[in-house]
Amino acid sequence: MAEAIAENTAIKTPEEARENPDKLGMQKDRKWPLKTEFTPEMLAEMENLLPGKLNRIVQTSLAGCIHCGMCSDACHYTQSIPDDKRLLPAYKADRFRKWYKGRYDWLGKVFPSLVGARKLDKELADEMYDLLWGGCTMCRRCTFNCPMGVDYGMVVRAARGIMCQVGRIPKHLQDTIDTHYNYGNNMAVPQDEFIETIEWIQEELQEEEGCEDFTIPIDKKGAQYFLTLNPREPKYYPLTIQSTAKILNAAGVSFTVSSRYWDLTNYAMFNGIDADAKLFAQWIFEEVKRLECEYLLSGECGHGYRGLRWELPNWLGGVPFKITSVMELLAQIVQEGRVKLDKSVHDEKRFTYHDSCNIARSGGILEEPRIVIRACANNFEEMPHNREDSFCCGGGGGALAMPEFSERRIRAGKIKADEIKGTGANVVLQSCHNCTDQLKEICEHYHINAKVMNLAELMDPALVLTD
Amino acid sequence: MENNVSEALRILEEPIQYVCLAFMALMYAIKIYQLMKKPGPPEKAELKGDRYAGAVHSLANVLRPWGMESTRNHLYFYVEFVIFHIAVLLTIGSTFFIPLVPQLMTPTVTKVIMVFMGLAFLIGLRRIHRRLTVPEIRIISSPDDYFAISLMTVFFAVGFGALWLWLDKRPETALMWVFFLMTTFFLLYVPFSKISHYVLYPFGRVMFGQIFGGRGVLNRKRS
Repeated sequence: MAEAIAENTAIKTPEEARENPDKLGMQKDRKWPLKTEFTPEMLAEMENLLPGKLNRIVQTSLAGCIHCGMCSDACHYTQSIPDDKRLLPAYKADRFRKWYKGRYDWLGKVFPSLVGARKLDKELADEMYDLLWGGCTMCRRCTFNCPMGVDYGMVVRAARGIMCQVGRIPKHLQDTIDTHYNYGNNMAVPQDEFIETIEWIQEELQEEEGCEDFTIPIDKKGAQYFLTLNPREPKYYPLTIQSTAKILNAAGVSFTVSSRYWDLTNYAMFNGIDADAKLFAQWIFEEVKRLECEYLLSGECGHGYRGLRWELPNWLGGVPFKITSVMELLAQIVQEGRVKLDKSVHDEKRFTYHDSCNIARSGGILEEPRIVIRACANNFEEMPHNREDSFCCGGGGGALAMPEFSERRIRAGKIKADEIKGTGANVVLQSCHNCTDQLKEICEHYHINAKVMNLAELMDPALVLTD
Repeated sequence: MENNVSEALRILEEPIQYVCLAFMALMYAIKIYQLMKKPGPPEKAELKGDRYAGAVHSLANVLRPWGMESTRNHLYFYVEFVIFHIAVLLTIGSTFFIPLVPQLMTPTVTKVIMVFMGLAFLIGLRRIHRRLTVPEIRIISSPDDYFAISLMTVFFAVGFGALWLWLDKRPETALMWVFFLMTTFFLLYVPFSKISHYVLYPFGRVMFGQIFGGRGVLNRKRS
């Protein structure tokens, strides 16, 4: 990791980088060796990997399930696809737990069938692959409803990490991670293209009335906030960057984006490979330090926020800067009255808000989005399950990067679709790009006439920039 | 009440129980040691909430049925859980009271314990029925799940009968023998069974509370 960073120590200015871009990411490209079937050799390797994945949380969670079934109502899969009983969280985790018990449970070693322990064989491994990649989004709603505090998210991530290590991982998900590893962001946006995109967005922004002086500074040393982005934004949703930049400028926030490492996503949270997760976090960490920013600012992205805010300091042993998010900063801007807002621009619309699991349940951002929404819109209706009780939309845990499980993913979104429909909203607000894509798909699939927007896109039109 | 029993039953009620209890404690100590050897959840991030308060909040979750949707929506299930576990405590307690402080086992105290044992027996039967008939519960159930709940249910029934006869001033009966033999078996078997979940309970709850308390999800005020 240190080598990869050291090779790029001669940092170019944005102008130089635009003319002669750096190869970002690791200098030596990697293609993760993928396997289509579990072989005896892979199963043997998995046996070797298991002990390394058993930290205290995982071990307690594997040993602590009492099969009470209280998780049955908690999962969006079981709620949306009630006919498939295998989607019960306890059943899914049991695919891993049976293997664990066969090796570590005292009774399981002597009388395996008594406690449901099993040797890891191809059949069990295939079930793990099907249910732990394609039947769980690690949303932790079941964890919040488990009397024992079993952390299913961590159990599933540990199992995924073992499977990934031997090459059994959905191809598209691993491709996304390899792309991040090889290019420094998960959509392989070259440095020059990124700089040009940001400059173009800035030009577009400056053409808006009252925004003539607004900028999107690149590599500005000493800026207060280091803004990170989801690669979908420069690639497909530049207006999201434009809206965010417009609000930050209007509120007088000093911020910058890096020309090098700006991708806040970290799909290694989904494949369970800690070394990759740390590497991607390290790139961002080094950039925040290089640009001497006070805050690392996560954009509107669920797992990206959680990765930066809650996991990065643990992966890297602490950070010398503060970490926050656009969602929190927007709420702060509203509460401090740093922008003038006109709610009436949204009077024709009816809003609801979807709490991304990684932002709310696993991230602690529960009230901030509501502060922003109430400041920007009059017509807001909560879904029956909201905040930490919110159901996953079905797009979490890397599900959108696993096309082989798409049908199940869309079916699993039914409970969320029903709740959206129940609010009568024609705009679903959220703060996560994976949620955006999933919500758009389920709205279309379940015939809901609703647009999907993030918070910056809500706030932007409500801004009053001229007297 | 007096516990006038034969020497043989006294040996079963006291020294044998202590040896088995020591064995159970040793097994639990090993279990806890093995768990504590594993790395715990680190937290280097700047906290948004309170990890300590979160852990306490999470531990006390058992007393707040409104705290989790799963108990909020299934209050009947929660009430059963409470009665069942109070019965467990009282039944275990009675295995100590009978030989050590029999004067505590007055008719009133004995009747209270019997009420809980009786209810727990019925709850046990319902739980066995649920495990057998609810498809999603059946597919996650292992033989140990059935064995554990069946054993507890029989234990409550035997205990109820033994105390019924105790009320009749008959401390040494066949049922009392079975009751204490079962207790002995429990002490030896439980550390290996799912019944030992109560040892893991504080670990699971505290870690959950630390993580989500620190992140400001638990113990917060809504706007």
